[in-house]
Amino acid sequence: MKKDDFGSARRMRRRSVTPAILFALAALSLSPRAHAADSTGFDVRRGQMLDVVSRESDPAFFTIAAKLKTGRDVPLALRMLDSMTVDNAMGGMFYAYTLMGTYLHCRSSLPDSLHRKIRQAFKVRTMYRGDTENHFVMYYTGMYLAAQTWPHEEGTQWFNGRSSDENFHDAEQWLRRWAMTTATTGQGEFDSPTYMAVFISPMLVLYEFAADPVMKRRAQMMLDLLFADVAVDHLKGNYCGGHSRDYPEDIINPLGAPMTRVTWLYFGEPSEARWNDARFHPRYRGSWEMVFGALGSYRLPEVIERIALDRQAPYVHLETKRVRNIIRFGDTTNPPVYKYLYMAPGYALGSLQGGILQPIQQHTWDVTFVSERPNNTIFTLHPFSSGRELAMFFPEEIKFLAGEVDRYHKVYTSPEKWNSSSPYEQTFQRKNALIVLYNVDSAAVQGHVDGFFPKTLDERVTDPSGWIACRSGSTYVGFFPAKEYEWIDEEIDWRWRSHELKNGVVVEVGSEAEDGTFSGFRGALGRSIPRFGLSKGKPQIQYTTRRGDRLLFTFDGDRLLNGRKVDVASYGLFRGPFLNSRLRSGIITMTAGGITRVLDFNRLTITERGSDR
Amino acid sequence: MNRSLAVLLQAGVFLALVVTGADAQLPPSSGAGRLFVSVFLVRGSVAGSAAGGYGLFTQTLGDTVWTRATKSNVLAFGLGYFDNGLTRRYYLAAGNGVHRSTDGGKNWRILTSWRTEEILGVVPDPVDSAVIYAATPLGVFKTTDDGDTWERKMNGVSTWFIQRIVMDRRDRRTLYAATEKDLYRTTDAGETWSPMGSGCAPMLAVLQHPAMDSVIIVGGEDSGLRRTTDGGKTWSAVRGLEKATVYTFRASRDGSDLYTAGWKTGLWRSTDAGASWQQVWAPEGIDAVYSLFVYPEDARHILVGTVGHGIYESTDRGATWHYAGLNGGQVKQIELYP
Repeated sequence: MKKDDFGSARRMRRRSVTPAILFALAALSLSPRAHAADSTGFDVRRGQMLDVVSRESDPAFFTIAAKLKTGRDVPLALRMLDSMTVDNAMGGMFYAYTLMGTYLHCRSSLPDSLHRKIRQAFKVRTMYRGDTENHFVMYYTGMYLAAQTWPHEEGTQWFNGRSSDENFHDAEQWLRRWAMTTATTGQGEFDSPTYMAVFISPMLVLYEFAADPVMKRRAQMMLDLLFADVAVDHLKGNYCGGHSRDYPEDIINPLGAPMTRVTWLYFGEPSEARWNDARFHPRYRGSWEMVFGALGSYRLPEVIERIALDRQAPYVHLETKRVRNIIRFGDTTNPPVYKYLYMAPGYALGSLQGGILQPIQQHTWDVTFVSERPNNTIFTLHPFSSGRELAMFFPEEIKFLAGEVDRYHKVYTSPEKWNSSSPYEQTFQRKNALIVLYNVDSAAVQGHVDGFFPKTLDERVTDPSGWIACRSGSTYVGFFPAKEYEWIDEEIDWRWRSHELKNGVVVEVGSEAEDGTFSGFRGALGRSIPRFGLSKGKPQIQYTTRRGDRLLFTFDGDRLLNGRKVDVASYGLFRGPFLNSRLRSGIITMTAGGITRVLDFNRLTITERGSDR
Repeated sequence: MNRSLAVLLQAGVFLALVVTGADAQLPPSSGAGRLFVSVFLVRGSVAGSAAGGYGLFTQTLGDTVWTRATKSNVLAFGLGYFDNGLTRRYYLAAGNGVHRSTDGGKNWRILTSWRTEEILGVVPDPVDSAVIYAATPLGVFKTTDDGDTWERKMNGVSTWFIQRIVMDRRDRRTLYAATEKDLYRTTDAGETWSPMGSGCAPMLAVLQHPAMDSVIIVGGEDSGLRRTTDGGKTWSAVRGLEKATVYTFRASRDGSDLYTAGWKTGLWRSTDAGASWQQVWAPEGIDAVYSLFVYPEDARHILVGTVGHGIYESTDRGATWHYAGLNGGQVKQIELYP
């Protein structure tokens, strides 16, 4: 983050919520509080968020909604809305649901001319559906609410030539199927610190305005599910572990991700100061999806808040997700993704099993630690790119797909990129220890492996044993490279780089509470040296953790824990102390603080017991 | 539609009016009409168009101005056309479904529902307007009720990505599907499919010779061209374009000139029914040619649709070329329709 951004953040923190804003907020409809998390903090934060967004000057539906609902700059908001409904070049899935969310929240304060223009928007411009899961959620949410708002109209009144009834039916069918798929086999674009916000935001709008009580209940259950999915990976505002998709800026600085705005609003973390820092991240100016949360009546169930905040004891949490639709060069369309997370009070170590699980923006593993400084993470990757990989997921031509992707994502073919899915990378995690193996083909475009080590670490020392020991506050990270490497001094990090194609690393994470002093941690590492070798030409690491677990992992081979094969296929949709679900059962059980909440997507029921509020 | 073609259709002789992607073989015989061009994405602006963005563009013959015929933000892959002498229908295969226009492209209706994702190609049955085939990344889809419902038709296909569908020139129940593994053929209107053992994979382009029905040529990713002269019983390599990546074919009306192009190939021509190929044009700075068009009334008049550089035109059988608009566009298919 630039110094200017910190400066702006400090200035903004001094602002207080004005009485007018508080008055406006009091007038907003609120839902019953039963089983909801403590709403006092939430109400304060949503007031702060609306206060901030209503001061924005960039034309955006979120800004317009905040201005109109708080009564700030109403004439400007109406002019913004007019402009955004006149420019026919605009349109698409982001536009569709945010326009409807803004319209339905604010329609009572709009002049007739804007009612007409907003209706016309769904006739004269293409609301493009897009090509990813989040696109479809936004598109069909927008179309569902638009068709509900303007029912029984002929196809000539809609951009796609389909009648209101047809559009409503399409949207209802897709949303119903998506909810069931997510509740039974997991999301495809799972746990994204960027995109989870645009799954949650449409569901907030759908929950608020779906007239059909069944769809409203479905939206509520999806919100519960999505928030619980975030909560279990959440640590002080950080979205920890492996991600299907993330941008390099957020991977190397987790609290800069858009989801920080979500966790701050709903969980109260990170601190307001860190939220203020994050919200001035230049990349996200104008992306205020959570305005719909601040304006809406959905309230986070208490059990989910507890899951997000209870970090008294370490825990292991397992998940199954699914790969985005593989359209060619695969055996199945949606193979499973297995996630492993070890959460401790001050850090989290999380991983996906490796391989190509998502195109372009995969983040396979990291350790994230609580810190007051940015760049609070360490991870490695192989910077893979290929047209064939992209063609697994996109229908365009192999030869120019990589170039096309580079136009949008800028770094896809870069050897220095910080996000990547690679067929040459696999992981094996046991609690706070991790083995990462690399078996890079000699013909691969990038013949190296990189690691991110932030300069905000308090210490980074290389012991004679070969372990690289790092300390950030009271969190300790041990990193053992199997092969030769070099350090590259960069602006915010030391880039660890190894050019060995048959390679591997071992990671151990600890803390002052678990290991005592840093020197004690280093000493424990020094007594346990990983053994690297090749088995039938493939990398293999044998390692006994400092806790005494014996790990043996061969690339493309079994993961052996204390001599027994680990069955990743047994993870279930969720398995851990807080969140549990058998794969394909459709029943999600959340447990924390003596509260148990069960979502049954087969019967669309929510049951809860044990709430003390 | 002209009288002769209507007579042919009534007699049960079916010409492949429409095929998916860029492999159309015989556009309607007409001295007039409009060029229809599907543009997938645009780098920068589209010069010469009435409005920016991507989608379907048209140009009246003799004119130089391209006009967008769809709303903005339509990722257009392919084109289709139905004309039984009484009814004309225009189809667009797009990222958000199969679009149909019954008024010459003024208004469009999406026929497919949430069940289908990108549509890579659309092939209407030339006789029964209710029957339409769609090539998609998740298989062949077919409607028999004019788009109200669609059914996935993949019995016998061991993969699911369908790059193109081509309808046989003589038998509308016979179709060819280009997949990542092989060329598949159905002889029962999509109910069952069989691999043809072409030896070309992943397959990207298919051509049935316009005058010799048993001659089929296929091209693929780094696999050059393969050709059969006995309706698929045997296949062999051709001379030229070894290991090339080929995206498209086009034939002159009588088949005396066959053209193909792809990734860093430039334009190639065959004058012996595809047995051998010679390079006609090697444009500088243009990596990919994705679509071709040969005017049915004048085989010397050729259009080349590029990836990122719009359309180029030759009126002397490829000897000289000039830029013809739609700069920046990925030109997926070019057709001439009334």
